[in-house]
Amino acid sequence: MKRNMLLAASAAALMVAGTTAAHAADTVAVIVKATTSEYWQWVFKGAEDAGKQLGVKIDKLGTPKDDAAGQISVLESVAGSRPAAVVIAPTIFEALGDPIAAVSDAGIPVVVIDSGAKTDKYAAFLTTNNEAGGKAAADAVAACLKERTGKAAGKVGYLTAMAGHESLDSRDRGFVEGLKAYPDIKLVGNRVANNEEAEGMTLTADMLTKDPDLVGLFADNAQMGTGAGAAVAEQKLGSKLCLVAFDSDAGELEHLKDGSIYALVIQDPYMMGFAGVWYGYAAAHGVRLPKNVDTGVGTVTKATMDDPKLAGLLDVSKRKLGPFLGN
Amino acid sequence: MTDQPLPRVRPGPRFHGGAAGGSVRALLRRLPIETYVVAFTVALWVVLSLTTPNFLTEGNVSNLMRQTPIAAIVAIGVMCTIVIAGIDLSVGSVVAFCGVAFAQMCGHGLGLAPAALLTLVAGAGVGVVNAAAISRLGIPPFIVTLAGLQVYRGLALLLAGGITVGGLPPEVKEFARGTTGLPNLFRAMAAVGIAVHYLLRFTRTGRYMYAMGSNAEAARRQGINIFRITLTAYVLSSGLAALAGILLVSRLSIASPSMANAYELQAIAAAVVGGASLFGGRGTVLGTVVGAVLFTTMSNAAVLLGVDPFWEMVLEGLLIALVVYLDNLQKRRQHGA
Repeated sequence: MKRNMLLAASAAALMVAGTTAAHAADTVAVIVKATTSEYWQWVFKGAEDAGKQLGVKIDKLGTPKDDAAGQISVLESVAGSRPAAVVIAPTIFEALGDPIAAVSDAGIPVVVIDSGAKTDKYAAFLTTNNEAGGKAAADAVAACLKERTGKAAGKVGYLTAMAGHESLDSRDRGFVEGLKAYPDIKLVGNRVANNEEAEGMTLTADMLTKDPDLVGLFADNAQMGTGAGAAVAEQKLGSKLCLVAFDSDAGELEHLKDGSIYALVIQDPYMMGFAGVWYGYAAAHGVRLPKNVDTGVGTVTKATMDDPKLAGLLDVSKRKLGPFLGN
Repeated sequence: MTDQPLPRVRPGPRFHGGAAGGSVRALLRRLPIETYVVAFTVALWVVLSLTTPNFLTEGNVSNLMRQTPIAAIVAIGVMCTIVIAGIDLSVGSVVAFCGVAFAQMCGHGLGLAPAALLTLVAGAGVGVVNAAAISRLGIPPFIVTLAGLQVYRGLALLLAGGITVGGLPPEVKEFARGTTGLPNLFRAMAAVGIAVHYLLRFTRTGRYMYAMGSNAEAARRQGINIFRITLTAYVLSSGLAALAGILLVSRLSIASPSMANAYELQAIAAAVVGGASLFGGRGTVLGTVVGAVLFTTMSNAAVLLGVDPFWEMVLEGLLIALVVYLDNLQKRRQHGA
């Protein structure tokens, strides 16, 4: 009796295992850096839209906050279930290199999105050129100064959301390098926050206290942009300080509209998720893919924010899929 | 075991009059730790006023008066749970959860006052759940509120769909930006501070809170309703976190489900630097506010003086350790030797 039950149980277990294995072949796993952040929600949305078109199931995975060790565990357990493809945004360049290579070696195509990993064993790499984004921010600050004062000159600072993140570091580096094209702009300060809007707000106010003649500021992600925008709005300095911020969320858009933010440098997280899944699916079916793809950055100001072409980039919930994915 | 006498009620360290000691050294020993923290804060202000041209300006002082209140209000609530020898680790997540709830109610056309009221009720509800789990189910406060830290952050993310909530009516922003003589946020902090100070120092409930924190068993034997006192402390803590959530949304003009991360630790740090003891029975509103002011001043100073942000973290950590060490040293001197 007991043995029969055991047999029945193991048969049931096998059946379950069998169905999940069959099911996994139609699954694309998307592993992001931080499931609690808005940016990655848009990556997931793009991935799900692609999944619907392709008729594959999308597993939305990742760690709640940036955590490389946690992400490696997620990647390893996902590989165990043998999905058709894995799309991953590596949290730390060095740490994720070998685990990604191991998954590729096991015959599962890996598409890397957003940030790189230390390996060349992947099907394709879709990313924003963050350094170019930082440079675009420097150009936007300079353009703003020129527009308002006639020359690109004065004291400028920048706010870093978190220390030691490859994509943020690249943006900052691009910004600092980009400023070198404007000899009259003087870089006076950099503060690092805890990726927290309120802290970005406090630091912006304090930077303005330290240098009351600050004329430009770059905020390197959406949290910093929202915080800096709130500080500028509170002190009504929108017409005096050229604030340029990265990404786009509800807070930044509000401050772009009320003039506290001069320009947003936007990237395309939706497309990373959307194209990531398409690429993974194609690779799983033997399509040869371009190894590196730049998903692009653009600059938006108050004057251009109502352009219908930009609507889906500024607010991804308004994204429409057309025959040509222009935006 | 016989009934124990009600433990000596001590609403926090305070002056016992200078007459007894006589010598200056004896007086210095008797001074509560807050005195040193106040002195240190004032010294920092003087140094900053002398060394930087921009510290003592109207703009910067007004900035400081807006930067401190939200952290201070959260810290006052957490201090109430520390006084009864409890802890509340859930406040950061409750700030985010209540902030998101408030923003969504406003966004859906509910008036400001009803939205704020409902948010405060939700916050108080969190406190009721915490107190019931601690007092009725006997789960340690650390565990109950650690669970809450996860649960309310998760609920905040679910409620917001993982993204920033914007599109709030302009009146929401106006409160935090507004000044009527003093910044509105500062007035809110003062009102909360005075109310909680009154409760702790001048009411029976307040005295019972210190009694319970000093010795819960003795307090129970004296017939103090432990559940009611626990409920008071945790409802205050979560309710004030909800208020802080509303104020934070007003300040940022958006609600983000990831905001107020690790506010519980800032709050505990402010309370402890202000003289609260994690063993219970000690803690004051004034001390806690001074603790919050000190941390705001330090981060302000770090920017004005151009201190490396990583060194700033190290210095803040060392300060917490130093203050608690000095406090313990003083207590040992008072009690023994």
